[in-house]
Amino acid sequence: MLRAIFLLLACQLAGETIHRLAGLALPGAVIGMVFLVGWLALVPRERPTLTAVTGWLTAHLAVMFVPAAVGLVDEGKALSGDGVGLVVATICSTLLTMVVTALVFRWALHRFAPPAQPAEAGEPAA
Amino acid sequence: MTGLLATSLFWLAVTLGVFEAADTVSKRSGRHPLCHPVLWSTPVLIGLLLWTGTPYATYRDATFPLSFLLGPAVVGLAVPIWAERARIRRLAIPIALALTAGAVTSIVSAVGILSLFGAPREVLASIAPRAATTPVAMAVASQLGGIPALAAVIVLFAGVFGAMCATPLLNLLKVRDYRARGFAVGVAAHGIGSARAFQVDPTAGALASLGMALNAVMTAALLSLLAIFL
Repeated sequence: MLRAIFLLLACQLAGETIHRLAGLALPGAVIGMVFLVGWLALVPRERPTLTAVTGWLTAHLAVMFVPAAVGLVDEGKALSGDGVGLVVATICSTLLTMVVTALVFRWALHRFAPPAQPAEAGEPAA
Repeated sequence: MTGLLATSLFWLAVTLGVFEAADTVSKRSGRHPLCHPVLWSTPVLIGLLLWTGTPYATYRDATFPLSFLLGPAVVGLAVPIWAERARIRRLAIPIALALTAGAVTSIVSAVGILSLFGAPREVLASIAPRAATTPVAMAVASQLGGIPALAAVIVLFAGVFGAMCATPLLNLLKVRDYRARGFAVGVAAHGIGSARAFQVDPTAGALASLGMALNAVMTAALLSLLAIFL
């Protein structure tokens, strides 16, 4: 367990180091994520504990960004000035992204991918 | 007594307590997106800060142990990517094309529409990483000169809205394949969308988690590239 936690921190630290040295805008944790994919592929031994630890972290992700969201208390100006634009832009962008992603995925599936396995393709129930 | 209001002990206990209460309501609602616990615990905590006269900087420092966990949690997104490696190999082209198209659409449409409203640069930088999962969006926003708190709330709102409109929207488009449906929800509405997708179908849920993790990397990478040229 401790080793899985160490691995997560080590990957993040390596990512953060590259982030600073290279002056990249890519966050260190995202670079660390790429390192961890590599580690998972190369070293089978830590897979179960890593899955357990990250499963716990992911399940409780929401509470971790509450402190950041509370920071809105100091952002009244941005919210009152651009509130309408923010709502309109977020709604439109979310809808457009979903439409484009779904349609491109479906088109590429018909065009390039082998036929769907029966268990994976079916009529949506909801 | 008043010294207690500046301690980690006090604010961690209060934050977890308020969040657990909101989470209980969310569970009772059958995890309806509008009952997302962050959506309700944030205003309650803001109210408590105002009522006790605690500056945000004090609260932020006191709750640092919670925020710190965001970094390792983002690194941990490697696990769903790695777990879906067989499917990634099988569906490499649809995933690559849909991911690129979705990430570009999200950034261009969000920034484009908001700039029509004449928003300043720091607000545009806060909406640009809208489709990335919250911790990544906050990190990218602050790198671009945006406001992390604003990014967090935009992402949250996008997730709640996306999760609620996914089923009717995708039915309207007649997209029936659960892989396409799930992936689109994950790319557009990250974690909250994925939670909704898991309620509908396990394949849709797995593809949604994958879409969320991949789009966190893609959105961050695209915006970092963009930052070099701006």
